[in-house]
Amino acid sequence: MILLYAILIGLPAGVLRAWSGGRRLTISALDRVWLVPAAVLPQLLVFHLPATKHVIPDVLAPATLVSSQILLLVFVAFNRKKPGFWILGLGLALNLVVILLNGGLMPVSPETVARLAPNAPINSWHIGERLGTGKDIVLTLDQTRLWFLSDRFLLPDGASTRAALSMGDFLIALGASWMLWSAGGNGDRLAYQSQRSWI
Amino acid sequence: MKGLVREVKINIGRLDRRHVQFILLLLTLILLVIGAGAPGAGGDFAG
Repeated sequence: MILLYAILIGLPAGVLRAWSGGRRLTISALDRVWLVPAAVLPQLLVFHLPATKHVIPDVLAPATLVSSQILLLVFVAFNRKKPGFWILGLGLALNLVVILLNGGLMPVSPETVARLAPNAPINSWHIGERLGTGKDIVLTLDQTRLWFLSDRFLLPDGASTRAALSMGDFLIALGASWMLWSAGGNGDRLAYQSQRSWI
Repeated sequence: MKGLVREVKINIGRLDRRHVQFILLLLTLILLVIGAGAPGAGGDFAG
């Protein structure tokens, strides 16, 4: 969920841009929108919802993540000409490649895990196994294919939440922010007296 | 409660197509970011 900050940053930025230019915030319609909930719903069940993520066996996690991300990549391909989508798609593709090459989950090194959760109970994670109920698998750098695409960037110590991000995650966040920023720059000019909304 | 429901219905009725489209696209973008990203989080341990 850490990547939602990209939307929290991009949305007000787009609104401000629209407001400063006297325009409406305009997001162009997307193709095949149904692909997104179809792809993400299984992920929500397996990785996010407390009522289900502890019940669903770990063995289903890789297949869920890979199939879901392939569907999302198809959606992004249909919408590749929209602002920000090509960079979001590049991030998604990078994530998918490293996930596919490492058994279906995003690799994270033991060193990164130790810094990510320094107070985690002993035996709460093991090399070669899924990290808790998330999308990651703990692998040493030697075991990791394309380690530079793995979750290896930690947020600064002062951040309100602890998270390890991949290069693909940064590109996804950038693409989402870019899309919302662009939405503030291509709308119709407001008729000055009659419009109050920037949407 | 009935008054609240009526007020919600009225407000929904006031939403024009542009607003509905914007809200749906924002929801789509949120789901897309959740699904596309794969960050490791400290919360993955505690669940």
